[in-house]
Amino acid sequence: MTTQTLERPAGGGVDRLPARRRRGGVERAKARAGWLLLSPALVHSVIFVALPGLMAVYLSLTNARVAGRGKWIGLGNYVELFGDAQFRDAVLRTLLYTVAVVPVAMALSLAVAIALNQKIPGRALFRTLFYVPVVTSTVAVASVWLWIYNPAAGLGNQVLSFFGMARSGWLTDPDVALPALMVVGVWQGLGAKMIIYLAALQSISKDLIEAATLDGASRWQAFRHVTWPGIAPVHFFVLVTSIAGSFQVFDLIYVTTGGGPAHATNVLTFDIFTNAFERLHIGYASAETVIMLVFVGILIGLGRLSVRNREGS
Amino acid sequence: MSTVVRVPRPKAGKALLVAFLTVGGFLMVLPFVWMVLTSFKSLNEVNHFSWLPQRIEWLNYVNALKAAPFATYFRNSLIVVVGQTIPVLLLSTAAGYALAQLPVRGARGILNYFIILLIVPFQVLIVPLFLVVRRIPLAGGNDIFGNGGTGWLNTWAALIVPFVSAPLFTFLARQFFVSLPAELADAARVDGVSEIGIFVRIMAPLAAPAFVTIALFNVESSWNGFIWPLVATSSESLRPLQFGLATFAQGQGGVQWPFLMAMSALATLPMILLFVFGQRYFIAGMATSGIKG
Repeated sequence: MTTQTLERPAGGGVDRLPARRRRGGVERAKARAGWLLLSPALVHSVIFVALPGLMAVYLSLTNARVAGRGKWIGLGNYVELFGDAQFRDAVLRTLLYTVAVVPVAMALSLAVAIALNQKIPGRALFRTLFYVPVVTSTVAVASVWLWIYNPAAGLGNQVLSFFGMARSGWLTDPDVALPALMVVGVWQGLGAKMIIYLAALQSISKDLIEAATLDGASRWQAFRHVTWPGIAPVHFFVLVTSIAGSFQVFDLIYVTTGGGPAHATNVLTFDIFTNAFERLHIGYASAETVIMLVFVGILIGLGRLSVRNREGS
Repeated sequence: MSTVVRVPRPKAGKALLVAFLTVGGFLMVLPFVWMVLTSFKSLNEVNHFSWLPQRIEWLNYVNALKAAPFATYFRNSLIVVVGQTIPVLLLSTAAGYALAQLPVRGARGILNYFIILLIVPFQVLIVPLFLVVRRIPLAGGNDIFGNGGTGWLNTWAALIVPFVSAPLFTFLARQFFVSLPAELADAARVDGVSEIGIFVRIMAPLAAPAFVTIALFNVESSWNGFIWPLVATSSESLRPLQFGLATFAQGQGGVQWPFLMAMSALATLPMILLFVFGQRYFIAGMATSGIKG
């Protein structure tokens, strides 16, 4: 693909030498244009993405503060992180959030995608309803949920009392705050997963399912033996990207709880933010981001690999 | 016998599906409905729970704009969206085209480089990017080595320049251009069209759907961006809408909920409209890139 030749059937009867010279000129012009078009984005990515990425690793090995230059301290930050209870709790909380949000959101989004894959009235409308939370800003969404979870006059307590349950302090209650934010995570992330599932479902041949039904398979059997194996490769991809996404939750926490009450919602990204821009421990925060990068990078890398294999086969 | 059983069953199943989707869809929009209903209530009305406003306070939308500099925030968001999206459409797509259609040496390696970059979560880059932006040479009182001043911090450049191109969009554009046939470009070459002319006048128009997808994604992410403006700016005259909302939501001494909901509604509406009209492109982009966990 990198070497596209201009070979054509030799019908023009042009002299070989000038033709070759011209071809060489065209190739050179193409290569020159290629670099011209590529370099702005390439240079930009080096300065604003690759360099910061490498700096994160370097900074994590120093005791840099926001002001002044840091000293090289080797793995000092990492050693300190291992003994840091707040960091450990933040990681555990992030894992808890992930373990709760990802499977629930995946199951629900798959159910919705399967339902939307049927011929039913109002499909486009339903698809829009489920997808809208994905495109709205997390800050606006967080503001709305902050109001829903308002203990005095919010919708949340109204729903609880409708079902005859006791009122809750929601985000002000350390035991409830994180689960309450998990609900928001599921609600906002559902649409994106649904779209990926829906695309996979629609790529499964209708003929195959019809053939199975004609052979006497029940709808359940057709689903179990044709549809389910057909979407199997997507599960892994959705799983991995969802985990990576839930590791990165920040805006929601910042607006609703600020990591509180009593650190109950202090997840990894929030801990990083606090260490970097409030305590100004840039080196220490960088070590946290490197650990996050390793987690997320491995997961996303695996996800991309699964997609490539799917396309390749 | 079997046909008698089979015919009604799908119907019952379908009714069940529609019921399931209706309940689900209702739960999905409920927060938005409550947001809009609240935005029309008077400030005293929200001390207790109620569904409908007693009377519709249209003026909330005007008064909220006065309660905080929301007009400035809106303007700032618009500047950032336009300032990022136009260069993204030029730079990222040009690079994608070069990688897909032109004989760049090492194109494979460069593509893999972009793919690795697009894996890096933005949260990882925030702290070092803050330092990079602060050390831009000869800006904000910096010397030629980037020392001494504040660089681009708290300027439009900090909000725009780091995002005028993105590995994700270069990758998306490349994926699209790879699928276009090279024959058209070859024909134009024979007619003496320059290489840049071929990109601008022939290949780019063919890739219009990719341009729309990239534009929509970038408009959405730049309009909704929050953490970077929070870190990189400190003056009100630069801060975008999401920042304004977040500050207002944390108002000391009580939040004015109807105003906050009115502004949230205004912040949400453009993106919902964008999605409703650009659905096709959003979904195509999502399906090929799988971003947005």
